[in-house]
Amino acid sequence: MKLKRRDFIKAAGLTALTISLPASKVIVDSIRREEAKGASLAPEVRWVKTYCGMCGALCGIEVLVNYGRPAGVRPILGHPQPGLCGRSSSLKWLWDSPLRLKKPMKRVGERGEARFVEVDWDTALNEIASKLRSIVEKYGYKAIAITHHDVWSYYMPLFSYLLGTPNVISHVSMCHANGTVARGHVLGAGGPPTIDPDYENASYLLLIGRTLSTASMGVVNRATSNEKLRIVVVDPRMPEVGFGNVEWVPIIPGTDAAFVLSLIHVIIEEGLYDAEFLKRYTNAPFLIKPDESPLTEADIIEGGDTRKYLVWDLKVNGLVDHKAAADPDLLYTGKVKLKDDREIDVKTAFILLKERASKYKPEEAEKITGVDARTIRRIAREFALYRGVADDTWYTAKNGNDYDNVRAILILNTLIGNIDKPGGLCYAESARFPSIITVRTIEGKRYAETVYDARMPEELFGDVGAPRVDRVKYRLTPSTFDAILDAIIKEDPYPIKALFVIGTSPIMRDMNTSKVIEAYKKLDLLVIINILPQEDVDYADYVLPDTIFLERDEIRSTKWTLHASVQVENRVIIPPEGYDVRDALWVMFEIVRRAFPERAVALGWSSEYANYKKYEEEFLHKLNEGIISKLVATWKLDKEAFTRELNEKGYYILKRKEYYVRPYKTALGTPSGKIEIYSLTALANKLDPLPDYSPPPAYTLPKAPNEFYLVNGKGPLTSVHASLMEPMKYVGDRSIWMNPRDAERLGIRDGDLIELEGIDTRAKAVARVKVTNRVREGVLFVYSQMWGRRSKLLPQNHFAREGINPHWFSKDYVVPIVGGGASNSSVRVRKL
Amino acid sequence: MRLAYLWDSTKCIACMACVVSCAGSNYSEIMRFEEPNPMMKWLGGNIRVVIREVGRPELRLVSCFHCDKPPCVLVCPTRASHIDRDTGLVLLDETKCIGCKACIVACPYGARWLHPTTLLPEKCPGPVCIDIIRGGRKPICVSVCPANARDFGDIDDPNSSISIKISKSKSERPLELLGTEPKYFIVKG
Repeated sequence: MKLKRRDFIKAAGLTALTISLPASKVIVDSIRREEAKGASLAPEVRWVKTYCGMCGALCGIEVLVNYGRPAGVRPILGHPQPGLCGRSSSLKWLWDSPLRLKKPMKRVGERGEARFVEVDWDTALNEIASKLRSIVEKYGYKAIAITHHDVWSYYMPLFSYLLGTPNVISHVSMCHANGTVARGHVLGAGGPPTIDPDYENASYLLLIGRTLSTASMGVVNRATSNEKLRIVVVDPRMPEVGFGNVEWVPIIPGTDAAFVLSLIHVIIEEGLYDAEFLKRYTNAPFLIKPDESPLTEADIIEGGDTRKYLVWDLKVNGLVDHKAAADPDLLYTGKVKLKDDREIDVKTAFILLKERASKYKPEEAEKITGVDARTIRRIAREFALYRGVADDTWYTAKNGNDYDNVRAILILNTLIGNIDKPGGLCYAESARFPSIITVRTIEGKRYAETVYDARMPEELFGDVGAPRVDRVKYRLTPSTFDAILDAIIKEDPYPIKALFVIGTSPIMRDMNTSKVIEAYKKLDLLVIINILPQEDVDYADYVLPDTIFLERDEIRSTKWTLHASVQVENRVIIPPEGYDVRDALWVMFEIVRRAFPERAVALGWSSEYANYKKYEEEFLHKLNEGIISKLVATWKLDKEAFTRELNEKGYYILKRKEYYVRPYKTALGTPSGKIEIYSLTALANKLDPLPDYSPPPAYTLPKAPNEFYLVNGKGPLTSVHASLMEPMKYVGDRSIWMNPRDAERLGIRDGDLIELEGIDTRAKAVARVKVTNRVREGVLFVYSQMWGRRSKLLPQNHFAREGINPHWFSKDYVVPIVGGGASNSSVRVRKL
Repeated sequence: MRLAYLWDSTKCIACMACVVSCAGSNYSEIMRFEEPNPMMKWLGGNIRVVIREVGRPELRLVSCFHCDKPPCVLVCPTRASHIDRDTGLVLLDETKCIGCKACIVACPYGARWLHPTTLLPEKCPGPVCIDIIRGGRKPICVSVCPANARDFGDIDDPNSSISIKISKSKSERPLELLGTEPKYFIVKG
């Protein structure tokens, strides 16, 4: 091998560098190049299939391990959700990042001072356990709460039983809660991956407040492999996908529902809807009474069935149960005689939708949305004629009216009947992945049974059955962390005294940062389990360093695919020397073993697992075997063949997407089993059964010339940990975007510093302006969950301190009943 | 054989996978420097991101465009910068480079940057990618792209994937008026 100048200088200069590299680095690079030429790999150099944990999408990747170090990354071709993006490309810097939390730490200063001493694991775990015991004695198990994001989310139900608390409350209110509730109400679906556009077969994709590049690169891969696909993006800012051959419609923030209802109006007025689909598979022909409830058999016959929804059948010219009707009338209005002989007026749900949408004729919608009427008409016609699909959204914690936006979007898809068809909005096949814990009744007694067959008897459930603090306030919510803050600050509905923050950063994630900090200061115990010094760490009593995804073995279902699939996360590498980090799973068991030993034992933990090696070798083996055996039983697989393929390919497709199933052959999870353009669940919860537009309730609308909407969004680099990695200094955008017309009006030039003041929160911050046509006039845009870092543990000159965290300016608005948050706000701008 | 790069601007979602992977694979040893690429105030990698703010903003990914008539080769006093006979790529023989920086100045695209420790005028393909290409495979920026927006191959072979893509789409080459004959095709539609 010829020693080149590059190598020579590298070798000679290495010791003088500010970083230390292993002595073998030069040799290693050379070996890697031999591999690149096609030579077979040395045993110490290998590609390992796994999935990426740089964000929550978990794309399938292969990592090149080079003498124990991550050296490269590439997507797994053929994977239903292949990686890669700028975040996963940065994973090599995460592994041995100088910023990584390396040892358990205990607070010695005031909360927020970030003064800690390093302690050993035993000390930290014993002290936490002792504090937990005192809290439980005084306030009960339910005074303990956990918040988390995607990391370790599979294990959260287990942690709930371990700690005996119902209060395991995720990030979802600041992510997809509003959309998820809407998906349930209209389509009987769940979180974002449960339905998705069939990107690879779609012809026309409408992205409203959604961008493809936010996370799953599998979605990007599928959409960009579709040569016939036209994409229209409706967003106040031009997301990255707008650089491509995409139509961008800049809309006034918080007006999406008016835009979509206007599309619905045009489609109905021009008869572009799929009447047969609406009649058969939706509740559009249901007859609605003046009190807004649907007419059922019980209304007209004594002892009739309340689940038999009546329609006007054109074939028999009479009232018939929808399921039995030959030709339900979509446009029926008339009088109906009830069983008590009263006569009432009824009209179809479809007519009610038509009347609602008629409030938003394109000319009216233009005044609200800022999108001109001709564009609205054109998009409506294109959408219907191309058999388009409108993405069901993901991040919907924006303006406080997002629940209605998403309902309108789902109804738009329904109108043209493009549901569960190739190229339409499809239900994803479920991997029927076994839950980590389920409650079973055996011989009259309830047990919590784990996937690895441990059983906890009911008497050890603690407060698991108590009402969760967020559902007391927002009964439909999937998760609302703001309710935990209220429970800490106001002890409403009951006090929360201990909080575990696992693999997430509420300060970056949740609205109204000052409220999060106020709550942190009031806690009796705050334990942070994380990998990097997020700002939350500064307020912790104990900081416990977690492993990163490259250091773990896990099996998970594949998220962003319509196929039912599972994938493996292989332990690619071990933590770097000197990084005394532990899995959060081990940590939680070990805390509980010390605090409430009977609970840990009942859930299959042995004191032998205190030895981390034993935990890795025995407990994790038992856990993964449990998952595999249940998958094998559910899908009737050959275990050996399944595990071999899973390990060889990194994924296993259990079932390919089958179209035309829901709602065609299988009833939906809505009260009527149909697609509900008129939501009976909403009605039962005293919400408007039809979507409507209302101005954003989450913030004061900007009015003065120096006042702006402050909108935030995500992009292909969004990640609270990836954004701290070295490449982000260069490729991460820490500016605040301003339209050139606004900039000219205010005498602001590209690169100028401005002061922002929250109109509602009065929070102030300084940011650097990027003058760009990528944002609409009157609107400022900033990436969320990236910048404005203030942890004292970050180096003073760290680039992530630049920029702003949009949540400094947002209030704590939560959508009533639904429970989703709102992170946009309004600000006043002053040039500095 | 004339190897060329293709970037489909209609598909690129600016995810930075190619930009960061290029740096991570080819120049990882300098990425923790205070300034890995002081000359360009950019990361230590061969792909630069330029956003043109005229009307609707446009994205450009700038790297060596492997000109058939490369100014950097013309000005090189030692023939360190040269067109590789086997591949048609513009490469650097680092044993001949005297560090005069003429190539850096001559490149009309600003594609070259100065490595902070070797002081070599770096450019695409980086050292690892050169070996990958010699092994008959596509460089890292192509293999990592999630958006099917990149390709690489022999434009003298009409059956190569890149030739097929060029023939089926509207494409242009960067600043063609300069007459440098870049072997880098930007798909526009």
